[in-house]
Amino acid sequence: MELIERYLQALKFALPAKQRDDIVKELRDSILSQVEEKEAEVGHLLTEDDQVALLKKLGSPIHLASRYRKQQHMIGATMFPIYWKVLKASLGLAFLVLIIASVATAAAGKTLTESLGVLFHYPSVALMTFAWITLVFSALEFFGGRLQLKDTWDPRKLPPLVKESPRKSQFELIAQLLIQAIFSVWWLVGLHYQYLILGPGIAFLQLGPVWQTIYPLLVVTVVADLALTASLLVRPLWIKGQSISRLVMNALSLVVIYFLINAGDLFMAADPSVARLQALVKIVNYWTHIGLMITVVVIVIKMVVEIVKLVGRRFAQVHHATVSL
Amino acid sequence: MQHTVEATTNTEVLENLRLELRRGCLILAVLAELREERYGYTLRKALATQGMEIDEGTLYPLLRRLENQGLLVSEWREEEKRNKRFYSLSADGKLILKQLAAEWKSINASLEGIL
Repeated sequence: MELIERYLQALKFALPAKQRDDIVKELRDSILSQVEEKEAEVGHLLTEDDQVALLKKLGSPIHLASRYRKQQHMIGATMFPIYWKVLKASLGLAFLVLIIASVATAAAGKTLTESLGVLFHYPSVALMTFAWITLVFSALEFFGGRLQLKDTWDPRKLPPLVKESPRKSQFELIAQLLIQAIFSVWWLVGLHYQYLILGPGIAFLQLGPVWQTIYPLLVVTVVADLALTASLLVRPLWIKGQSISRLVMNALSLVVIYFLINAGDLFMAADPSVARLQALVKIVNYWTHIGLMITVVVIVIKMVVEIVKLVGRRFAQVHHATVSL
Repeated sequence: MQHTVEATTNTEVLENLRLELRRGCLILAVLAELREERYGYTLRKALATQGMEIDEGTLYPLLRRLENQGLLVSEWREEEKRNKRFYSLSADGKLILKQLAAEWKSINASLEGIL
């Protein structure tokens, strides 16, 4: 019977402390009753193999002990969807903060490697974010269950129906955010190290002083653009907010273009004494100005369409509310 | 190969559904058998005789849960030279059994019609 005692000893170790003696006592009786019955049936003492077969039917001590424990979880099924959403949003936000830090590093005149290097801190930041969010939600689950939080939801407070429109997938948005970030960093660093933008053309062309004048404005525009893409990722159904953000973005772009158009020379000849180079720069500046003018028209049209959509949605909501009354 | 994978998945699904279906029935069967006082081993044998096989790893934790819920009462007593824990229905247990049995009959009647 040593095998049975060894089994019960292992089981006892895995059982809840308060009940272990009681449970083991009961199971010992049950096992011994089976042994007696089996021995009476076969007419001799059970062999070790017979005992092994009997214990195997009970399952491993750890498995059997687990059935005496309550089902345990850190975050329950009710809380989990909220936890999951907050976790995803926080991880996205952490990513955005690092992107802004990367852009800020670039804006401070650091090199491209240094600026992009900030993004490599993401794994450790993401791990910390995950740990804190999980800890907070586990605490909410624990204390919320004890406080018996009231379920006070009201169907009338649910958001209005949203027209289904083909939305970008999360993967597309993350890729877009990443490309945007790399482009932004390249652009802002490039304004300090012009060869990054002009490449071999730096032998002929240079950026005009206006680019340095409007540099802070460009930083603001870049950060706002990144924030808009991030908002699509975090709150895909925040239609009104996104419309307003797009309007603000377009307005910012118009301000930038206004300065560029009024600045005169956007590009300058690397060597002003070469007449052919001066003529080339004049042509480049002329067509860049034409391009900026066309961009203004496109932006204004986009803004009008956005405003019409926004007002239309507002009208539909008011109408819906009136009909509901 | 694909057929083998599908067959394995179907067997698992069936096994999980069978266990789910049995879980509630077992509680009802255990409560019903405990209208008469029994200890674990004899309860298991009584259930098996009625065609309701239940392994010890399921039965004993279930008895603890039902006792914690106040549906069973138990006491240790010596019988056949060994201490045994005898279970029987509490007053609440009797009431719950009555309600569950009515529920079972209603579900059974409905299912007979549906199936």
